[in-house]
Formats: sequence, structure tokens, C-alpha cells
Amino acid sequence: MHVTVEVVGEDVHEFDVEGASYADLLERVDLSPHEVSVMVDGRPVPEDQPVESEHVTVLRLVQGG
Amino acid sequence: MAGLDLDPTQLDRYSRHIIMDDVGPEGQAALLDADVLVVGAGGLGSPVIEYLAAAGVGTLAVVDDDTVERSNLQRQILHRDADVGTPKVDSARRYVTDLNPDVNFEGHAVRLTRENARDLLSDRDFVVDCTDNFGTRYLVNDACVLAGVPFSHGAIYKFEGQALTVTPDGPCYRCVFPEAPEEGTVPDCATAGVLGVLPGTMGCLQATEAVKSILGVGDLLTGRMLHYDAASVGFEEVPIARDPDCPVCGDDPIESVEDVEYTGGCTVA
Repeated sequence: MHVTVEVVGEDVHEFDVEGASYADLLERVDLSPHEVSVMVDGRPVPEDQPVESEHVTVLRLVQGG
Repeated sequence: MAGLDLDPTQLDRYSRHIIMDDVGPEGQAALLDADVLVVGAGGLGSPVIEYLAAAGVGTLAVVDDDTVERSNLQRQILHRDADVGTPKVDSARRYVTDLNPDVNFEGHAVRLTRENARDLLSDRDFVVDCTDNFGTRYLVNDACVLAGVPFSHGAIYKFEGQALTVTPDGPCYRCVFPEAPEEGTVPDCATAGVLGVLPGTMGCLQATEAVKSILGVGDLLTGRMLHYDAASVGFEEVPIARDPDCPVCGDDPIESVEDVEYTGGCTVA
């Protein structure tokens, strides 16, 4: 499966994956599941689930105010 | 007509609002009748408080248990060098009362907690989340959603800012980030730094959302997380969908913030 991973505010990555989880995608873009939300169609998906979408959005948690 | 209640001084002070078709004397009267709570009088809270006071928001409440530190002054424009060591709500009070006698300032030099959240948030027309930690951020979200009070979320990091407006019929912060990250995994401004003018941009967006909500004009930043990159001057929107399984705004919500421990992951029991 060809997957586009958009890290909001940063880069867009393209990967060919088979049997990968969303956590695997995060590892390939050097991000930890603790610091982001992985989203598909506007909703977060569990990082341990297999990738089923061709477009994934990654949004960072930000705490400063 | 409510606008007829404005006195000559107010008609002069707010003339640039009143002349606008989308505001008018009725809109200005609505602002003067409005009750807004700002949670946090720091980087984001400073421009929010200043612009809402200038706009004539009739009751402007601020909750912050912090005192001014010299390292705040690079971005927290409410506070002066002479304020170092004094409560932030005192700086806010001085600024607001000096600027606009129409505003009833309500300062709370306490930390927002599960115990006082209902009293502080429930009866407001709008809440502005200008907090600097995840525990309070999740508490503001949960308490506002449960009370049906619209609020603006804002957050900043280095050159980047996020903003989202949550209304009773839209997705909430937990629909994007169901749980807080483990402590120490996401850097704060003290460890990562933040561009001093960035909270000015993001706070002005939040103040704009508050004013629009009170006036009932325009499109609020609901159902989309706004991301701003000051380095590239880029704005990006991420669509957000309401999660029917969300424990706060979903189909089977919790009844009270008492069901949540606002430490660690801020997980709903």
C-alpha cells in the first residue's frame, strides 16, 4: 500500500508499506506516539492498529501557553 | 433596542465597532453584557485580556495562580519589570482597569482545579484556554464541554501555534488528543523556548474567536485545528471530526470532571 504521511507544519512523506502499524509509520518519520495524534479522516487512530488508510495526518501535542 | 443604552462616552469609545454592520450598537451592547473567563495570564492570555478589555467585554475574569518572573517579560506583555514577583492577576487587573472603566475585572489568584472548575467556568459566555500545562488544558476542555460553554483552545511551541474553538455541537480537544502525553515527553516553553511574538499572533486569534462568538458573526474555528508556522508564515487547517466514543462530548459522556484525574494522561476513569 502506498501511504502519504502528512506531519502538520512539517514535511509530507510517501511510503510503500505492507502489514505496517501506524506506530511503524511514526517510527519512519522519527516521532514518538507520546507526542502526536495520528489521524485518519479527522479522527485519531490507535497507533498499534494496522495501516488501512492511504492518507495519514500526524498532529503534534503542544502545551505551551 | 439594547444599543440605545450606550452612553455618549461609550458611543465614542466603541465608534469603530458601532459603525460596522456586523457589530452595530446591538453588538457592542452584547459585548458589554458578556462574561468571559481567561484561564492563564501568560503569553497567550496577555493579548487575549488586552483585546477583550479594549473591546468592552463587560465582565472579564482571569484565573492564574502564578507570579510574574523576569523570563516571562519577553512575551507576556501584560506584565512590567516592576511586576516581577507579584501575582499575574494583579498585573492583569491594573492593565484592564487603567484601559477601560466599562470592564468589571474579576481576578482569581488560584489554580483551576476539579473542585473550583464548575464555579469558575459554568456560567460564562465564553472561556479562553491560555494554559501552559496539559492537566489544566484537559480540565478546561472537559469542564467547558460538560457545562455547554464554548471555548477557544490555544497552544504555542517555538515557532508554531495551534488553535481550535470548541462549541457544544462540535468536536472537542479530546476528539483530537484523547489523552495527555506522559509527563516530560512534550517540551514546554521553559525547556524548548518560544518566539516572543508568537503568543501575540495566537492570542489575537483566540480573542477574535471570543468576540465573534459573543457577536454571533462569522465562522468559528470549530471542527478544524488551525496550525500556524511563524517561520514560514503558513496557516494550515486540519479537519477534526466529533468522536461519538469521546468520553466528554460523545454519545455517553461522563457526568462530572470528578471522574477524571488531571495528572499523567488525564484519563477518564
